[in-house]
Amino acid sequence: MTRTATASLATDVGAYRTSLRAYLRNGDALDRWRGKHYASTEHRIADHAALMEHLYKDGWNRYGWPAEVGGLDGDERHRAVLYDELSAAGLPVPDPHLMLETLGPPVVHFAPDLAARYLPEYLRGENWWGQGFSEPEAGSDLAGLRCRARREGDHYVLSGQKLWTSHGATASRFVCLVRTGAPESRHRGLSMIMVDADAPSVSVRPIALASGYQDLAEVFFDDVVVPTDRLIGEEGQGWAVAMYLLQWERAMYAWLCSAVALRRFRELLGQVAGTSLPDGAATRIGECYGDIIALRARSAQTVRRLAAGETVGPEASVDKVLLATAEISVHDLARDLLGTDFVFGAGADTGDWRADWWFSRSTTILGGSAEVQRTILADHVLGLPKEPRA
Amino acid sequence: MTSTTMDAATAELLTGSLRNLFAGSAGRAVGPALETLGWSEVVAEDPAGATTLLFTEHGRALASSHALDAVLLAELDQVLPAGNGTRAVLYPHPGDGDQPSTVDGPVRGLLLAGLESVDEVVVPVRESGSVALLTADPGSLPTEPVAGFDAGSGWLTVTGWQPSGTTVPAAKAWERAVAAGRRALAAEIAGVCQAALGLAVAHTSARVQYGRPIASFQAVRHRLAEGHVAINDSASMLDAAWAAAGSADGGAWAAALAKLRAGRAQAEVMRHCVQVLGAMGLTSESAMHRYVTRASALDALLGGHRALSEATGRTLLAGAPADPVVEV
Repeated sequence: MTRTATASLATDVGAYRTSLRAYLRNGDALDRWRGKHYASTEHRIADHAALMEHLYKDGWNRYGWPAEVGGLDGDERHRAVLYDELSAAGLPVPDPHLMLETLGPPVVHFAPDLAARYLPEYLRGENWWGQGFSEPEAGSDLAGLRCRARREGDHYVLSGQKLWTSHGATASRFVCLVRTGAPESRHRGLSMIMVDADAPSVSVRPIALASGYQDLAEVFFDDVVVPTDRLIGEEGQGWAVAMYLLQWERAMYAWLCSAVALRRFRELLGQVAGTSLPDGAATRIGECYGDIIALRARSAQTVRRLAAGETVGPEASVDKVLLATAEISVHDLARDLLGTDFVFGAGADTGDWRADWWFSRSTTILGGSAEVQRTILADHVLGLPKEPRA
Repeated sequence: MTSTTMDAATAELLTGSLRNLFAGSAGRAVGPALETLGWSEVVAEDPAGATTLLFTEHGRALASSHALDAVLLAELDQVLPAGNGTRAVLYPHPGDGDQPSTVDGPVRGLLLAGLESVDEVVVPVRESGSVALLTADPGSLPTEPVAGFDAGSGWLTVTGWQPSGTTVPAAKAWERAVAAGRRALAAEIAGVCQAALGLAVAHTSARVQYGRPIASFQAVRHRLAEGHVAINDSASMLDAAWAAAGSADGGAWAAALAKLRAGRAQAEVMRHCVQVLGAMGLTSESAMHRYVTRASALDALLGGHRALSEATGRTLLAGAPADPVVEV
């Protein structure tokens, strides 16, 4: 594509959508990613990375990212359109894009040099990152985290542990929230830093979900040396970086999920067509479709706000609650419509539904649990009297 | 794209005017009062923003009027012969879902206010599988006040009217009118829900048990947060429905979804609000019961949320594409 053509797609989201749609319809080369089943998380993410490489080669997943980090310019709407059109074309949204949506924007904003160095290879599917926030003693109460980064000259020495790291077993870097202040400094003494997974004294232990898929991991740091230029934001600014990141984690991730959920909903209807359905199936199907479309309606508004440069505040918790509602809804619908086949069926399609059902249970937990989201809304949006502190 | 073009200051100003209007009228005079306000110009400039504001406040005030008729008539008047004075609309009886009675009669339906200042009633009927319109002399319609759950609605039922006169085919116009009506009703339900949630927030913030406001207890806080989520969910869906309103069918599919989500939201909001008010919620001493009953009546009008869910599900099962409805 010529430079002029690229520039015009970057400024015209509608034209980008039309061109992308035509590209996705015409490419037989993309068929290898349609209707695929994977034996393991490692196989899946590697194959998805190959899809990123393919999309990168033709430019399509570079829109929405600045040129300085390997992108072709444009804004959040381009990324939203990519996820939507991939899903409409029966293709997966490559797994590494999940963490890219969460970790990419804060790195671009707070550490442009790191972004310029490492985001191009991420977009090319060569490697991807994990998010190191939670710890054994710091889940919902994130500000209590203890993983420590001690400053020694021009580097930090990391010691501690992270838990529930998505794609942790295959990620080549971790973006970690660590304590640089005093042990009791809560959210004031935190910093965000990028650590290489292959650095000496980093060890990763995959965690198998109940489905058998190793979607999560725990990561141990045993005096790991990290250069100070790996800081994202200033030392002590970690909480602000994390709050900035939440705008995308809650909004872009919600949109991405709505696109995938709609594809899975369509696939489910195709799978159950002609089978005998339980009483009330039509109503359930209509409700579930409403859950997905309402999520789209809400997160589209938020994506447009992000694209316009607005700051999205605590109201993003509404997006997160709706995201979890839609995810739970479509997977419970699958479980109920597939019936005994869900429990006993040996087919690969059914196996995917079971694995996805387990993963869907994480949507009310990760990135701030359902309870945390409701508390944020109660405190900061409804302005209710606060709960007493223990 | 966002469907309204109104800025926040204008919206606030108009909201204030509408609140004064509803506070000062007993409901029936809403039409003339809106005329004095120059409302038709506001609507012409920004249909989405103006309609949503008007019906949100209509709902919040628990008003009864023919305001919704004007929304449907904007579509129906286009296929009807020039009118004789003021028209009102007969809505399908909620007992028939969203389906009008058949042209063979007898016809039943709902009127949203009295017919004192109405010259002609537009009656939709089903005729050979499609919807057509009749006009009726108000005096010929056997009406009685709606009883039941929402005794304060001011609505009237019409039963046993035997159709007469020539029908006007109106399948497309009726589809567009219903879509427009559903968008307005979604806003009205949102207004009722906002008022109910506001009352619940105020009550639970003031009511002290165990030495602290009950709104500081997590169980109460989370119910109220869920009510807030439901209201915002339906508001976003309504915005998306307005974005689709320009299509040939009047954005019927998205409008049905907006009504579905609003109906679902009121069920959720009212369940939580009644609970957190304690026994007050089920008395006639608190206003809460009026929000509960009005929201359920509005939900039933032009298709309740359960019926719309089932109809949507059946359409999808029959092979209709699962339309994404919303684009960024």
